[in-house]
Order: sequence, then C-alpha cells, then structure tokens
Amino acid sequence: MDIILGIKLNDSVLIATSKAVTRGISVLKASDDKTRNLGDHSAMAFTGESGDTVQFAEYVQANLKLFSVRQNYELSPKAMASFVRKELATSIRSRKPFQVNVLIGGCDINKETPETSLYWIDYLGTNVELPYAAHGYAAFYALSLLDRHYKPDLNEEEGIKLLQLCNKELSTRMPIDFKGLRVKVINSQGVKEYDDLTAL
Amino acid sequence: MSGYDRALSIFSPDGHVFQVEYASEAVKRGTCSVGVKGKGCVVLGCERRSTLKLQDPRTTPSKICKIDDHVLLSFAGLNADSRILIDKARVEAQSHKLNLEDSVSIDYITRYIAGVQQKYTQSGGVRPFGLSTLIAGFDTNDTVPKLYQTEPSGVFSSWKANSIGKNSKTVREFLEKNYVENMTEEETITLAVKSLLEVVQTGAKNIEISVMTPTSIKRMTNEEIKVYVDKIEEEKKIEAEKKKPKSRQA
Amino acid sequence: MGSRRYDSRTTIFSPEGRLYQVEYALEAISHAGTSIGVLSNEGIVLAAEKKVTSKLLEKDSSEKMYVLNDQCVTAVAGLNSDAGILVNTARVYAQQYLARYNEPVPIEVLVHRLCDIKQGYTQYGGLRPFGVSFIYAGYDDRYGFQLYTSNPSGNYSGWKATSVGANNSAAQTLLKQDYKEDISLKEAKELVLKVLSKTMDSTTLTKGKIELATVSKKNGKIVTKIWKPSEIDALLKETGIVKEENEENEEIN
Repeated sequence: MDIILGIKLNDSVLIATSKAVTRGISVLKASDDKTRNLGDHSAMAFTGESGDTVQFAEYVQANLKLFSVRQNYELSPKAMASFVRKELATSIRSRKPFQVNVLIGGCDINKETPETSLYWIDYLGTNVELPYAAHGYAAFYALSLLDRHYKPDLNEEEGIKLLQLCNKELSTRMPIDFKGLRVKVINSQGVKEYDDLTAL
Repeated sequence: MSGYDRALSIFSPDGHVFQVEYASEAVKRGTCSVGVKGKGCVVLGCERRSTLKLQDPRTTPSKICKIDDHVLLSFAGLNADSRILIDKARVEAQSHKLNLEDSVSIDYITRYIAGVQQKYTQSGGVRPFGLSTLIAGFDTNDTVPKLYQTEPSGVFSSWKANSIGKNSKTVREFLEKNYVENMTEEETITLAVKSLLEVVQTGAKNIEISVMTPTSIKRMTNEEIKVYVDKIEEEKKIEAEKKKPKSRQA
Repeated sequence: MGSRRYDSRTTIFSPEGRLYQVEYALEAISHAGTSIGVLSNEGIVLAAEKKVTSKLLEKDSSEKMYVLNDQCVTAVAGLNSDAGILVNTARVYAQQYLARYNEPVPIEVLVHRLCDIKQGYTQYGGLRPFGVSFIYAGYDDRYGFQLYTSNPSGNYSGWKATSVGANNSAAQTLLKQDYKEDISLKEAKELVLKVLSKTMDSTTLTKGKIELATVSKKNGKIVTKIWKPSEIDALLKETGIVKEENEENEEIN
C-alpha cells in the first residue's frame, strides 16, 4: 500500500512518496525514502515487491551514473525513462522479473529552455509521459482530485497545495497509516528534498 | 594446451620481461603529467599537445579524466589504451558503490587499476598497457588528499608529488627541490604549473590543470592558468634581475 | 595442429615502446585517397578522392562515404574492407543506442565506441590493427555540428577542418590558410573542392574522381546526404572549378 505521486508543474516536477515500510500487519519503519536520484536533475520513485524495488532502483542509478562519468554528460529524463522501460521490458521476459513500478521526474537542462517531464512506467514495460501520475491504490483516491484541480501552469507553491489536498484525502480514505509523504522538487536548479509534506 | 605458450610477456633467459620494459618506453614518450598534494587539496596537471589551429578544443578529449565524483586520473602513454583502462576503473567505481554502498577509496581504485595493468603483463594474447597513471582524490568524509602512481608492470605507489611521462625525471627533481608540506591551494597550483613549465616551453595554452578539494573538482580555464604562468614568469624575471648585478659585482 | 593455433601474434611493443603494427597501418593510410572534412555553423562537408577511376566502373557506387545513422556520415581512408566491418558495427551500435535511450546516439559517444574497438585490436583483439582512418561528421543536441577523426591506434580528436589520407599535410596547410571561423556551408563546399583539387594527384576535378557528403539542417531537421555524381557535377560547374575540366574534356573528345 505504498503511495507514489508525481505532478508536473510550470517549471518543476513534484514527487511525493509515503514513508511507511509495511510487512503484513506491521509497520516496520516510518521514515522510508522510496526515491533515488538518477542524476543532478532527475529522481525516480518506486513501489512494488520489497527488495526488488531498491535492487532495481540502485542498479538503474549506478548505470546512469556510469554513463554520465563515461560521457561527461547527463542523459535527458526522456532517455533515462526509455532506459528504465527497456530494463523492465527485458526483465519481464526473464525467469525472475523485477516487480517494480516507477515514476521518473526530471528536468532536461540541455534544451534551450529547461524542460520538465514526468514518466509513468510499470513492471510490464509501459512508459507514458504524463502531467500527473500515481501508482497503486493511491491512484484511486488521488487521480480524481488531480483531474479536478490540475492545471499545467501551476507553480511550486500551488503544486504543494495540491499535494496536501491529495494527502488529506489519502489519510482519510486509506485503510492504513502510511506515515506521511516525503517530497522531492525537481527543477533546473537540481533536486530539493523535504522530509515531510505537512511541514511545507 | 594450458595457454602458457600464448603469452606475449614472457621471461627472457636473463630474467627480463621485455614487453613490460618496452611498455615503459611508451610511457616515456607520452606527454608529461604531474600531481601535487597540498593542505586539503590535490592538483593534477599535464602538458597538452599543442592544439593545432583547426583542432576543436571542445571536442578533443582531455588527459585528466574523472573516474568518479571524488577521483581524478591523469596518465602518460598511449592515449587509446588509457580510455580502456579508465573505462574499467569507472565501471569498478560504480559497481563498488552499487554493491557496498560506499564509494571507492583512492587506495582501492589504485589497487584495482594496478591489478588490471598487472594482469595484462601475465595473460595470454595481450600486450601490457602502455600507461603510467596518476590517481588523485579524497576518500569519503576525509580531508586528507591522496595521490598515487601506477606503472605498466602493475606496481603502484603513494606520493606527495610526482610526475610521469616525457621529461618526468627533470620535473620530479624540480618537485623534490621545491616541495613543502601543507601548501595552500594557490601554492599547490603554482608548484604544479611551475614544474610543468620546466618542460613545457609554450606556456598556458599547452597546460591543463585540475584542482580537487574534498568537495569539488575544478578544471581551470586557459585564462586562469595564464594568470599563474604570468606570475611565475614575472617572478623568474625578478629573480634573474637580482642575479645579474651580483654576478657583475663578482 | 595444436601449436599452429598459437603462431599468431597480436600487436606488441618494440624496444623503443612503439607499436610498429599501428605505425604501419598509419603508413598504409597515407597511401589512400585524401578525405577532407570542413565544419561550419550551418553544417559539415566531407569530400574524398576516389582512387579507382575506371570508365567501366558504375558511377553511382560509393566507396568512401557511409551514412552511419540519421545524423552522422563518415568518410574513410585506408583499407575499405576493414572500414566495412567498423561501419557495420557503428550502424548496429547507433540503432542499439536509439532502442535503449529513445534518443539518437551523441556523436562523440559513437566515435568513442568505435575507437575502443580499434584500440582493442592493438592490444588483444585480432592479428593486426584496423587499417583505416575515419572522418566523422554529425550533429547532436549537445554540441551541434561536430567533426572528428580517428586512426588505427584508436585515438580520436575533434576538428573544425581536417583531412586524412595521402597529401594529408598539404591539405591541412591549405585548410589552415583558408578556414574562417564564420564560414558558411556554401563556402565550406567550395573550400573542400578547392583543397581537394590542389592535393589530388590528377590535375583536374571530375565527378568521377570525387565523392561528397554533407550533414546540414533543413527546416529544423538534420539531413545527411551522400551526393550523386550528377549533383557533384552541378556543384563543380557552379563553383567554377569545372571550367578547365570542360575544356580538357573537349580536347579529349
């Protein structure tokens, strides 16, 4: 019952992830980070089979880092998303596939004007670019809110407000306590991290 | 069929492994690189082959390469060989971080690079790397600069300051004479540039300098290097002026 | 049979630390027809001298210019058969990269990859290095138009104007004389033809003796093009270099 949400704004992308680690009927941890930075201007949030998720995310992270050190240049978020999609598409055709769903938010600073983007990728290898996205149960509650309130020209502050709206709805409706949302803000300056949405 | 007969690097009757020795000759033909440690910083510098007028400096590869965010490597020897060795080191650096969480230590990556070089002196069907390298950097959460050298044979060693490549002996002697402990960043850069100027006649445009601190890697621009070169030349001139009247008096 | 298998030797160091096989390969290239590349802000021109000029040869066969992908062309100098192998590898790699990242391969990444393969053949690969130098002309979003050369040792470098093959140094001198930073694509074409006409063994340029390729931008899209003999002919006439040739042709006729 992990929550991962992403919203693309006018010049940034927000990624929010729940902080609970649950196993069966227990909450094991209340300060988890379900994201990894893929570069200076991109981050990936993940949910799925625990163990698979971190293994996959760090594998992707290491490979993209290797690319940037080798070529002295960072891939665009679009290329990163394609790479991740390809990895998952290869994995699903293997004996033991990764069960991981991800969101990738990034800012392409090599474009003439920095361009933000958000990608929704599932374990089957589906890759869609979206203005806002979510995986899992959270999608049921959050998407309707986002459908209603989302506008492409929202600024960071308005985006955070929208996230808080989602958080409120999720807290009300989700059957478990997901221990709040951790937020990453990605823009042309880099990735900012906030431990908790409610503190913003 | 054990493969021993495929080795290119085998002992001669008098105990030499000639291919390794010849590889060291290739290193001596390569342009000079220096490394100097200061207090909380380490500087790598190298001679840049004179860029021809029509060459594009933006897209011509540099001789000081990043292995990871905290490790720089400079080399002397065969350019193309260096790319292969550097690539192996980069893969190892990321693989190490993926498997063990921590970034490689400078000591570890040096051992790894030297290990690869050694393997190529003792494996079938390959020739050794025609390369010496200088590896500089800082371990995680540490402010002590590290500087290592590796050789084609796979030997590695730690240095306060050192040089490799063409005229490296002259440069090393210069460094031995002028090195002092705990230099500031500026003094360290000055010493590196000064030592290179011992063998590079054409000044700033043929020198490359990268400066590392525990938190940053900075590649100096031609203009920035020129400031140092000019200052050094100014000092040299004053020095020469001082000497002149003395000799007359004598 | 056993020991025979190991007779072969890869490239090894000479006592002075040199790799003779690589140097001999470079020597082989210095006998090959000249290839020239010139970079401008509007695009890149590649031109090469064709050595085989039999009347019986089909005019449209290109032997020195290869399209690697939608944004990169290469001109070769050296052993054409060796070039074929590397060109094929490059094409496969470019498509693999596209499949993986959904983005065309950056030119330097492609050049880097090919040079790693070339280097491999000087250290552990086959029996001898690849006897071929390339000039790569390409475009990517990162650096715009770019011009590179690579040689059998596996080294590569970026250029504004460069040449490989026979009379290389003469061509380089001419390029140095006439290259301007703000050269236009049209001027680049003229420069390439001019330099080629001066460095070629034969005194005159004809469409049968040269090959031409360009990478340029048209309506915001990158266009790679290997020129047809008829188009080269038209260009030669336009630039005026062909005049003498016409006269000469008439004499022969």
